[in-house]
Amino acid sequence: MKTTLPEWIDPAPWLAREYRVVDVEHAIGTESPDESTLAALLSPAAAEFLEPMAARAQAITRRHFGQTIQLYIPLYLSSYCSNGCAYCGFASDRHTDRHTLPFDAVEKELDSIKTMGFEEILLLTGERSSRADIDYLRTCVRLAADRFHTVAIEVFPMEQDEYHMLAEAGCVSVTMYQETYDPEPYDRMHRWGPKKDFFNRLDAPARALAGGLRFAGLGALLGLADPYHDMIALYRHTRHLQKTYWQAGVSLSFPRIRHEAGGFTAPHPVDEKMLAQIIFAFRICLPDVPLTLSTREGAPFRDGIAGIGINKMSIASRTTVGGYSGNAPEEGQFDINDGRSLETFQAMLHGKNLEPVFKNWEKLYRLTA
Amino acid sequence: MNDELLKLGSHTFGSRLILGTGKFSDTETMIRAVEASGTELVTVALRRFNRDKPNDDLCAPLAKLSAVRLMPNTSGAINAKEAVRAAQLGRELSGSPFVKVEIHPNPHHLMPDPVETYFAAKELAADGFLVLPYIPADPVLAKKLEDVGCAAVMPLGAAIGSGGGLSTLEMIKLIIRDSNIPVIVDAGLRAPSEAACAMEMGCAAVLVNSAIAAAQDPVAMAEAFALGVQTGFEARQAGLMLQSEFAVATSPLTSFLS
Ligand code: SF4
Repeated sequence: MKTTLPEWIDPAPWLAREYRVVDVEHAIGTESPDESTLAALLSPAAAEFLEPMAARAQAITRRHFGQTIQLYIPLYLSSYCSNGCAYCGFASDRHTDRHTLPFDAVEKELDSIKTMGFEEILLLTGERSSRADIDYLRTCVRLAADRFHTVAIEVFPMEQDEYHMLAEAGCVSVTMYQETYDPEPYDRMHRWGPKKDFFNRLDAPARALAGGLRFAGLGALLGLADPYHDMIALYRHTRHLQKTYWQAGVSLSFPRIRHEAGGFTAPHPVDEKMLAQIIFAFRICLPDVPLTLSTREGAPFRDGIAGIGINKMSIASRTTVGGYSGNAPEEGQFDINDGRSLETFQAMLHGKNLEPVFKNWEKLYRLTA
Repeated sequence: MNDELLKLGSHTFGSRLILGTGKFSDTETMIRAVEASGTELVTVALRRFNRDKPNDDLCAPLAKLSAVRLMPNTSGAINAKEAVRAAQLGRELSGSPFVKVEIHPNPHHLMPDPVETYFAAKELAADGFLVLPYIPADPVLAKKLEDVGCAAVMPLGAAIGSGGGLSTLEMIKLIIRDSNIPVIVDAGLRAPSEAACAMEMGCAAVLVNSAIAAAQDPVAMAEAFALGVQTGFEARQAGLMLQSEFAVATSPLTSFLS
């Protein structure tokens, strides 16, 4: 396997440098952030500057997103997966009870979610399989598009024409985490399956945007590899897409491995302080890029960071297949650490003077066949 | 990659100052100003090419300068069709692959027509020209021109000949932030300090005409602009210090972190 990153994404030049307190102070205040800014803000020297970083991040978040938090909800369609991701509860060697929602059950789940008030839904599957293939997905997108303004997918990498088909079915957004941008640990963590192809995954968001999707969500799974390496590469990936597909919206998430099924322990654990530092750093370096946080994180952390960098969150999520309307199996893809209801969460947001936003896109702008 | 050189297509230039050649009191002063500026790229309006009358022709005397490449411009054209024709004739006469697309239908304020400029640039880039369009400082237009294959974009700092300086500063910053091709400020600059400022912001080059041609001593002003451009470029490379201290929070925001 090719193990070197192409120049446009390689973080190496910024990893080789050492960052001092003066670099951090400069980075916090800069109006023209770049890779060096991010590297300085992620460095150990910046760990002592969390409070000023938070203040700056909050000011920037307010400037670009106001006092709002966008809300979305995930729907797991299928837990079948042929991949061997070492950290995932759905990996093919884990003995979970596997399900794919039949279309009537999909409709039931969608209706349950719709009743809660959401307008943005994220549809998830494992690897492409005969149970959950492109045709299955297209039908699910259609069913979701009949009910929700924003339909997003977090599924297997596809070809440009397949993305185009889904765009025509009403999908506008793709989420594709690279997991790690370091090809070597990537190869080790992805023990088998199509997901072993690092570069096919790396180029998938670009194919999706070329295929007509309007938004791409990127991220790396914190804990798998060196976070400095992965976060600088993530920044470079974002900037690359922004410059190439300049009409597209790019957003970022910061998933962190907590306690996954199968007893996997993260080789590069990221603690809450480091996670906060990463989020503040990205807000300062990408002022107008939506930053998302899921219910993988616990309520105190989420409440603390809402509006200080993070401007988009999921809530009331189930990571099990069929979790919203019926008898869902126990084991989800990952553990949920914020299990509050939508009502409780909204009350928290209002208490912090933050307005929950459910609808932030309009189905009128969809690509039509 | 050599950061010292300006790159337009596959061509490189040691100087980041581009000169316009109109509006000088006489050709000899213009030539001396061009030489004093150290520029390696000048733009000449096709309408100022005059083979039949050598003392009314700007092209031939500039073509004699071996250090300088010519970039015909389409000023005088009021729509895409005329600009494309002017560009083709300019290439034929000058042999230069460069063209500055300049379309200003209003002869008084001379503001560029973004719609016609876009169509002309698209056609000329497809025809193999290295197209440098003169445009309003509009970040969306700039990306659309990049998409159709322009070699650079040239947003205006202020109206042509106005000496208004960098009145479009914030828009130019946005253009620079997301551009994959060189951004060159064209028009509006009055003082070398403004050229330095444009370079400090991250412009790849500046194009100056009136400020030099209409100076009391055009030759000395050409040299001053060269210094301004160089100063700004070096300052950009050196990294500017911050304008003010970062904000200090009044009440702690990070107490939620254990
Ligand atoms: S992370 Fe995704 S691809 Fe990997 S095993 Fe889990 S469900 Fe399959």
